Amino acid sequence: MAHSHTAKRYSGLMDWLTTVDHKKIGILYLIAGGFFFLVGGLEAILIRIQLAYPDQHIFIGDTFNQLTTMHGTTMIFFAAMPVIFAFMNAVVPLQIGARDVAFPFVNALGFWLFFLGGVLMNTSWFLGGAPDAGWTGYAPLSTITDASSATTLQHNIMGTDFYVLGLQIAGIGTLIGGINFLVTIINMRAPGLTYMRLPMFTWTAFITSGLIVLAFPAITVALVELMFDRIFGGAFFDAARGGNNVLWEHLFWIFGHPEVYILILPAFGIISEIVSTFSKKRLFGYSSMVFATVLIGFLGFMVWVHHMFTTGLGPVANSIFSIATMAIAVPTGVKIFNWLFTLWGGQIRFTTANVFATAFIPTFVMGGTTGVMLAIPDADFQYHDTYFVVAHFHYVIVGGLVLGLFAGMYYWWPKMFGRMLSETLGKIHFWFFFIGFHLTFFPQHFLGLMGMPRRVFTYQPGHDLEMGNLISTVGAFLMGIGTIVFLINIISTWAKPKTAVADPWDGRSLEWAIPSPAPEYNFKQTPLVRGLDALWKEKMAGNKEMIPAEPIGSIHMPSPSILPLTMSLGLFIAGFGFMYEHYIVVGIGMAVTLISMFLRSVYDDHGWHIEPEELEDKGGRA
Amino acid sequence: MSTHQTGVLPAHPETATLEGKNKVLGFWLFLGAEVVLFGCLFATYIALRNSVPDGPTAEELFKLNTVAWSTFVLLTSSLTSVFAIMAMHKQKLGQLLFWLLITVLFGLTFLGMEIYEFTEYVHEGHKFVTSAFSTSFYTLVGFHGAHVAFGICWITLLILQGLKKGLTVVTAPKFYVAALYWHFIDLVWVFIFTVVYLMGKVGH
Amino acid sequence: MSNNSHEATTPSKRHKPESPTNHYLSYIISIVLTMLAFAVVLYGDLDRSFIFIFIVTLALVQAVIQLFFWMHAKERGHLFPLIFLAGGAFVALTGVITAVYWVWW
Repeated sequence: MAHSHTAKRYSGLMDWLTTVDHKKIGILYLIAGGFFFLVGGLEAILIRIQLAYPDQHIFIGDTFNQLTTMHGTTMIFFAAMPVIFAFMNAVVPLQIGARDVAFPFVNALGFWLFFLGGVLMNTSWFLGGAPDAGWTGYAPLSTITDASSATTLQHNIMGTDFYVLGLQIAGIGTLIGGINFLVTIINMRAPGLTYMRLPMFTWTAFITSGLIVLAFPAITVALVELMFDRIFGGAFFDAARGGNNVLWEHLFWIFGHPEVYILILPAFGIISEIVSTFSKKRLFGYSSMVFATVLIGFLGFMVWVHHMFTTGLGPVANSIFSIATMAIAVPTGVKIFNWLFTLWGGQIRFTTANVFATAFIPTFVMGGTTGVMLAIPDADFQYHDTYFVVAHFHYVIVGGLVLGLFAGMYYWWPKMFGRMLSETLGKIHFWFFFIGFHLTFFPQHFLGLMGMPRRVFTYQPGHDLEMGNLISTVGAFLMGIGTIVFLINIISTWAKPKTAVADPWDGRSLEWAIPSPAPEYNFKQTPLVRGLDALWKEKMAGNKEMIPAEPIGSIHMPSPSILPLTMSLGLFIAGFGFMYEHYIVVGIGMAVTLISMFLRSVYDDHGWHIEPEELEDKGGRA
Repeated sequence: MSTHQTGVLPAHPETATLEGKNKVLGFWLFLGAEVVLFGCLFATYIALRNSVPDGPTAEELFKLNTVAWSTFVLLTSSLTSVFAIMAMHKQKLGQLLFWLLITVLFGLTFLGMEIYEFTEYVHEGHKFVTSAFSTSFYTLVGFHGAHVAFGICWITLLILQGLKKGLTVVTAPKFYVAALYWHFIDLVWVFIFTVVYLMGKVGH
Repeated sequence: MSNNSHEATTPSKRHKPESPTNHYLSYIISIVLTMLAFAVVLYGDLDRSFIFIFIVTLALVQAVIQLFFWMHAKERGHLFPLIFLAGGAFVALTGVITAVYWVWW
């Protein structure tokens, strides 16, 4: 429409603080998630230092509990999920031929809410003590607020308040992010891109977003109830006034189990993309992959009690959930076989991305099999709260999700940054991390079977636990070195010019049809999709580019805004107000948020346009 | 820029643009999340509804005639919001804003009745901190009330925006989505009066 | 595909103006169902579990009516909304079943 605005354009820091561009937001998520990954990794190293030898007194008592709590919480909520969102932001709109997500403003809001939630929780280190009730925050440990019963907490009474507020704020961000990607994928696919032609990463992003929308409200309710108990004297979890702790466990795990599928499904998507690209073969069994993903998502809501087998719910409940848990292994197995059949007979290239992806497959299977072992309630009565469980979930989360995320980084780095990460450094990174990973967590299966409990800050000599713990610590350091090599890779790549080509891997999907890094408007003309593996289809038909679905025209772009940041800051401030029970601060914070919402509602900003003349110039530049 | 000629709007202006379609779909998905949210609050309430070691129980406390009237008020406000959207589809801005105003007034009445009800309960010894039952009662019903209050502020703001900007393909999705929200909180109330008040009166 | 998201993308179809009849009907039915529920509780000398099931069913019926008539859910283009409402209801139901059976004392 011919109404020219002077485009509001910022540069430098303001550009990043006000951006609503999904590509920049993806980079923000990656940087923030990467930062918190280092924080969580440091916490892990400190834990392993303490546990390297029996009877050490380096990090003990409540300090140790803070380390384990923050390691888990940070890694899951502030490292893994943001990096997942980084890829969803960077890749999904490109894979569906769209110019941005459905709600660019809300996208930015989601980032700032997550980031400030993570910052809030981590300020606790400097403000008297971090949360220390485990990443699962079980009541009644997590409801202790008065000094007299706080001796076990070594007077770190406020720690859990940071957990409650930080996660609520970050959780809202994740929820709106989920809604955003669902609407984007439903409403904004390019012409010809039916659901059964979507790339697997977009499919997994879609199902993951659905899981987020249906699971996050449960943790929100759990956290609200915990907050009401802690800050307003509620009685949800206070047995003396009729409260019930099993209720917390149920609410937490009704969220918590789908959460782990939220974590792993995107990794499954990444593996599907990489394995097929680097075998030069179509993904084997695409329809069954889609169906398996949907089934895993659905079943993920039916298994949460397997985290609670020992709470005394009885054999009927335990049996139902045991069978449901074992059932999830079936669609997961379908996926594993499909990847193997994709690789089989393909022209395989072991780029770093593919090395990580193929290493994922057996490692994740190892984690999955211990999962099936844990699914048997009788056996779980032995495994529960031992290092066997720790080994299981680290195999699936680190050996699964994290390997998948690293794979995705090497794969999509050129599209995001216009540069290729060094393959040599990449392989070094891989070997240090992979060997370190197995050294760290494989012995932990045996430590658990030999009786070492979880969440203990030391163990006694003479129980055969020394060797396993020492090897585990060595492995952790190797993973640390691998991570440092990766950082070196990033930094040295950063120094180089942006020379990546549009399609460095001979890719199959739409993101490889546009320059690297992607231009601001993504697609000069929305492409027409004629089949699965949209770009490959055109390549096989002899075309160098996608067929456009529309003439070149002026492109509408959303305006940047500082309001997502201010809205999030308001909640951040209010969070501190709640924690310290200074209700004026709460008022100020809420006012900042509400005023920002008011401004957003009242001032309709219709964005700005990139005109066709500028498009010819813009070519391959960001 | 969007057309300000309100006479030439499409039949369903709220979904006439991609932006409008996105907003409406996004809001439905948000309502799906809210179903889970209220569902968990209901689950908590159901688990704790008889946990009154000390303090008044539901059976002793609830006054069904107040609840019946506030139900009637909220239900009627939902109907008036339907009229508002019908007016929007007929492109009658004046009627749209009028029905929204009536909706807001009914909403305020509902809230007033609920606040009065809560103050009565507090005087009868049913405070937030009294028992697990009371905490979960005030949390569930209070969350609903907070949603009503937010809706009232939101719709009032939209009425003012409607006066200023008129009915366009940009403002139409806002009205539509607010009406969906208002229906939703009425729906939640149907379950609250059933599960909390009626079942509470039936007793342990 | 229009680039400008503010341009109307669908032409005005010949559209039958919505009749208020269905809406009045939904309102009356909702009032009746509500009154019935209150009546059963206040005056029904019936078995407790029967009353519970009955009034919850009445609530569900009222919810469905309001959803389909007042929230336009029966019109086309509402597949995903219904999927997510159903999904939400499913998860909420698992929560409620949990609360009833698996919160022990």
